[in-house]
Amino acid sequence: MSTVTLKDLKKTYANGFQAIHGIDMEIRDGEFIVIVGPSGCGKSTLLRMIAGLETITDGELMIDDRRVNQVEPGKRDIAMVFQNYALYPHMSVYDNMAYGLKIRKKSKEEIEQLVNKAADILEIGALLDRKPSQLSGGQRQRVAMGRAIVRDPKVFLFDEPLSNLDAKLRVQMRIEIRKLQRALKTTAIYVTHDQVEAMTLADRLIVMNGGLPEQIGSPMELYDRPSTTFVAGFIGSPAMNFIPIQVDKKDATLPSGQKLNFSAPSGHAQLLLGIRPEDIEITTPELADLTLKVSVIEPLGADSLIYGSCEGMKEDLVVRVRDKALVQEEEIFSVRFNQQKLHYFDPKTNSRLP
Amino acid sequence: MVENRPLLTFFSHLALIVGISFIALPVWLAFVVSTQEASALFAGQVPLWPGEHFIENYSSILFEGEKNSGAPPILLMITNSLVMAVCVAVGKITISIISAYAIVYFQFPFRQAIFWMIFMTLMLPVEVRILPTFEVIAQLGMLNSYAGLTIPLIASATATFLFRQFYMTIPDEMIEAARMDGAGPIRFFVDILLPLSRTNIAALFVILFIFGWNQYLWPLLVTTDASYYTVVMGIQRMMAVPDSDPIWHYVMATAILGMIPPVIVVVTMQKLFVKGLIETEK
Repeated sequence: MSTVTLKDLKKTYANGFQAIHGIDMEIRDGEFIVIVGPSGCGKSTLLRMIAGLETITDGELMIDDRRVNQVEPGKRDIAMVFQNYALYPHMSVYDNMAYGLKIRKKSKEEIEQLVNKAADILEIGALLDRKPSQLSGGQRQRVAMGRAIVRDPKVFLFDEPLSNLDAKLRVQMRIEIRKLQRALKTTAIYVTHDQVEAMTLADRLIVMNGGLPEQIGSPMELYDRPSTTFVAGFIGSPAMNFIPIQVDKKDATLPSGQKLNFSAPSGHAQLLLGIRPEDIEITTPELADLTLKVSVIEPLGADSLIYGSCEGMKEDLVVRVRDKALVQEEEIFSVRFNQQKLHYFDPKTNSRLP
Repeated sequence: MVENRPLLTFFSHLALIVGISFIALPVWLAFVVSTQEASALFAGQVPLWPGEHFIENYSSILFEGEKNSGAPPILLMITNSLVMAVCVAVGKITISIISAYAIVYFQFPFRQAIFWMIFMTLMLPVEVRILPTFEVIAQLGMLNSYAGLTIPLIASATATFLFRQFYMTIPDEMIEAARMDGAGPIRFFVDILLPLSRTNIAALFVILFIFGWNQYLWPLLVTTDASYYTVVMGIQRMMAVPDSDPIWHYVMATAILGMIPPVIVVVTMQKLFVKGLIETEK
């Protein structure tokens, strides 16, 4: 139950490499923040700075109203779940969970009560006597979470906790983490490179790129109004399609010379038109915005992805359809864009045009 | 092997039996000789079966020693050897485990240089630096003492190197998790690192115990007082008695007795020893 405040937080490594270029943010009490980005974007560094495992070279980090820049990790009253769990292999599950409490000089009875309570919440009561080597991946994950919640910390930190689990378990644990955090109402900061995890878990999302936050906001905000092409391409799977267009007054022309039958915002000669695969529909040639030739069809079950090539465009356009029987491979087909769901970006700055 | 091939079974057993007898026969002969009378051995033939003087020979050598060669009772020499071997093993492990901890987990100036300096002592075993080391020990007045026997042997890099390699295989998250739990450097060392090194410590103890037990040259140099003699050098002294035939039955009895403690150590710690060499618990 705490707030975390980041004031122009920066990190420069001893070799001169600047990993974090300054982040300002207020994390509210009980909020679930997900930091997402490609590898090397600084998301783990940022989390480790909050944890106290990396030194902060500039700026201020506050937990509640306490400045913790120079406070040891153990004294920040935070708990962390690591990617590879980092359970102590020689200790039983019980001792793993009790270790932090023992160091904090809690009484035996109190430790027992707290560990049992945490074990009940996570349903690992039957495993308390086992060693970590006797547990499955999912059980280890639970124990790692148990070790975090047993201390009732001010902030939970998660460093890609689900990436070592198989797909099915990942979905299950994702839901459990969300439920758990809702129930405990503890502020949580969660790092992942998986945008589905990010979208489903977050109250607010930070998309990081090259040591800078590209956009901070709720998942749907980022999905509906991405502020840069980077965010637009990162959030949503499959990624948003980008089509470079020429604008002459109000007429938009595709690279192939095909004219679009709707108007683009004026003021720029070149624009990037962004459209999500689900906002494109297959239609009749009379209503078409664009004609494409099918290059690949990927059936996903509930719906299918159709990759269509268009003359003058480097990358295939992805269309998401419910019924894959609409087209065949190698066929030419017509598509129409949902006019409400068009995004325009400046190709020079990659930022969104209003 | 799934198939049943009698010839192969026969030959593999033969190879094993030959191998075992190759190692066991000298030990058996030593035992046989140690149970004979002195006169039985001067005939020039080695008997193959034990004689009747087992108790007599062993009790006299254990508790009285061999007067002619000035050898103290074997019991005393075994005690000395034990003290030396245990001190060397424990001392080496203690020092190297701490120094490896410092080298792997702490950032301090010249860390790498210090590691390589420790590593370089691998090239300088006692035998190489024997004269200067003797001089130092003599100047410090440590001749004829347990300290003089053990301390020069404790300084070495092998164990430090081994522990360093082991610590480097422990994932960084382990220390990070401990730090999040609020454990300081000493708690981490005692609560996490030491228990994890358990099997390594055991393996190293066995190796170093035998290393200490088998020391010959160094004890020979630093001890002139018979009450600090060790078994291994004691055997040599018994054989080199001027103007007299070697008293083989006593020498062999000493050899047999001198073999027992290392065997006990190896046998009792075998399980941990093998674990420490082949498996890492992480």
